[in-house]
Amino acid sequence: MTRMSEDNFKVQRNLWENPWGYVESFFIGFGLMITGFFLEVFVASDTPFTVAYPYNIIFLIGYVALLVVLYKWFSNTQVIRWLTKVPASISSISLVTLLVMIMGIIPQVASESNFVNNLGLNKITSNWAFLLILFQFLTCLGLISIKRIAQFKWSNVGFILNHVGLFLALTAGMLGTGDLQRLSINTYEGKPSWIAIDAQKNQVELPFAFYLKDFIIDEYHPKLALVDNKTGTIAQNNGKNLYLIEKGETYYFQNFEVTVDEYFETSGRIGNRYHFVNELGAPPSAKITVKNTTNDSIQNAWISSGSFSHPYESLKISDAYSMVMTIPEIKKFSSDIDILTKDGERISTVLEVNKPFKFRGYKIYQLSYDDKMGKWSDLSVLELVRDPWLPVIYIGIFMMIAGAIYMFWMGNKITKNQ
Amino acid sequence: MTWIDFPLYSSITGILWTAGLLFLLISYKKQQLFKFANVLLVLGWIALIVFVVKLWIELDRPPMRTLGETRLWYATFLPLIGFITYIRWKYKWFLAYSIAMAGMFLAINYLNPETYSKTLMPALQSPWFIPHVLVYLFSYAVLAASSIVAIKGWYDSYKGNFNIETLKLADNLVYIGFAFLTLGLLFGALWAKEAWGHYWTWDPKEVWAFLTWMGYLIYIHYRHFHSNKTKQALTILALAFVVLLVCWFGVNYLPVANTSVHTYTN
Ligand code: HEM
Repeated sequence: MTRMSEDNFKVQRNLWENPWGYVESFFIGFGLMITGFFLEVFVASDTPFTVAYPYNIIFLIGYVALLVVLYKWFSNTQVIRWLTKVPASISSISLVTLLVMIMGIIPQVASESNFVNNLGLNKITSNWAFLLILFQFLTCLGLISIKRIAQFKWSNVGFILNHVGLFLALTAGMLGTGDLQRLSINTYEGKPSWIAIDAQKNQVELPFAFYLKDFIIDEYHPKLALVDNKTGTIAQNNGKNLYLIEKGETYYFQNFEVTVDEYFETSGRIGNRYHFVNELGAPPSAKITVKNTTNDSIQNAWISSGSFSHPYESLKISDAYSMVMTIPEIKKFSSDIDILTKDGERISTVLEVNKPFKFRGYKIYQLSYDDKMGKWSDLSVLELVRDPWLPVIYIGIFMMIAGAIYMFWMGNKITKNQ
Repeated sequence: MTWIDFPLYSSITGILWTAGLLFLLISYKKQQLFKFANVLLVLGWIALIVFVVKLWIELDRPPMRTLGETRLWYATFLPLIGFITYIRWKYKWFLAYSIAMAGMFLAINYLNPETYSKTLMPALQSPWFIPHVLVYLFSYAVLAASSIVAIKGWYDSYKGNFNIETLKLADNLVYIGFAFLTLGLLFGALWAKEAWGHYWTWDPKEVWAFLTWMGYLIYIHYRHFHSNKTKQALTILALAFVVLLVCWFGVNYLPVANTSVHTYTN
């Protein structure tokens, strides 16, 4: 051992005597938590507390400056010494864990229990108890980071990456919510739109407009399912891993051999069969031949998944079962848009899930569409997110990624030194 | 259908890996054979990579869109992580473990051909998906291993012949596993930002992943500063693993389950 920790000596100590250990730490931690719950019951309002620019920047700078001052000139006071030692950290990590665990058990939605509502156990992230404990947690983290930076050594690089990275990501993430702007906007094919709606449902006029040229949904082929006539549920593989319909393929269900003779992606029934048609609401259809291998009887029919404007058709193949075509699943959806600016610029782009577009400080996401109309939707809902704290959060995250790789590579120091 | 070749390639890989694992096992007695085991494992891996490359060329897109394709990537990257970990830490059993896990994914694919075309929903079609799941898989495996080591530690100290080396092995495994767990959380955050514009939404699965992370964080700090309080350290490690199990299997059974985006049963 290179380091001497207090517990290597068995020293008889009274409560609150120098230096504070675990008992005192948890005492203080629970004190903070109880104070927080009191605030929650007696003063908390329903609007979550956020700070916006410039107060959050001022707060962050002031907080870090205060931590530096505390470390530099007050590090021999009882409280600061305690905060830079492991018991204070472990108690705050444990209590944060405890409160997050409550969040992991009690659903974070309006509750029927008065107890849960009053103590704010269903809104932990804005609960005073949580905020106070987190404040202690961040203060510990900030102080030890400053300490190690002040006594910089190359062997501290991993430590600094992990602790400073976490400090940055957490503080910027929390303080940044006040400046985070999240707007959604409905765009319609062939029309320009520039009035967005913010999180409080207020209208916001954008300095540019979206012109939706085309909203496109790619679908997978529909699937073939064996359905139990009595229960109406899928009777094969627990409803998982159904076969995609493919023209010419043969599929096997129990004692039935099903061949797909014909398949149309969009079609309509005309007389006793389906034909390819391309119009609003035209559903997919397939002609199938079903052979019952126990008695060699053969059935022939058209089935269709239907759509918002057309009924579905299935085929009853025995007393117990029917063949059904499922509604096609979405492969991808995207919006082909032009962004029109006030000074006459026109920027074309295609938005897709997982592929946002950056424009004038906003990230523009493909959010949703009219799901009743499915692939005939001419509405595409976009989301605009402005997050000025993003670079700070990214710095924090990438420091932690580097820290994690360092940790993997170096392993545990004490293990190696002994 | 380019998956037509899969039974052939996966069988080659499977046979080479089985032989390789056998030699690896024997090499605990006869060290010389370990080289030979490695050659077999690498050859099996190459066969798999050839298949992935061919599939990619023939599909003309990265094979990352169906359930079968994702499993293929797990099977391809697990050996890589296993080899890197072996090069750094020389845990032979760990190499075996990651190869076995990769083999398991190949076997699942082999037995469920219908999943080759089982579709993924749009939000899952992201380059982050595979690294995100992969580092979690790996991390859970290493942390599980650390718990097995901890159980041995408990048993030993109950018998009165506790050896501090046992705990040191657990420590190192926790460090490796924790590093991957951190990567899993962070990749998830970056992906969520890319897909939905949020880093973190306190979704139940995220909550429990965070709790797991915190549990091991407590262990790491406790161990670092109280290196002779072994009993307490072992207890913390056991508790952290319980949280991990809740995260892996239990979230669906909690009252919060139906508010999760991580349950894709439709
Ligand atoms: C990314 C997460 C974290 C990782 C990977 C991590 C890892 C470590 C490691 C490996 C050490 C010992 C390193 C050394 O002595 O060089 C350490 C020390 C320490 N950590 Fe952390 N830690 C993390 C987060 C935290 C948090 C959240 C807190 C407090 C709330 C904290 C408080 C401390 C303290 C007080 C020390 C002792 C510092 C000293 O004595 O100089 N750590 N940490």
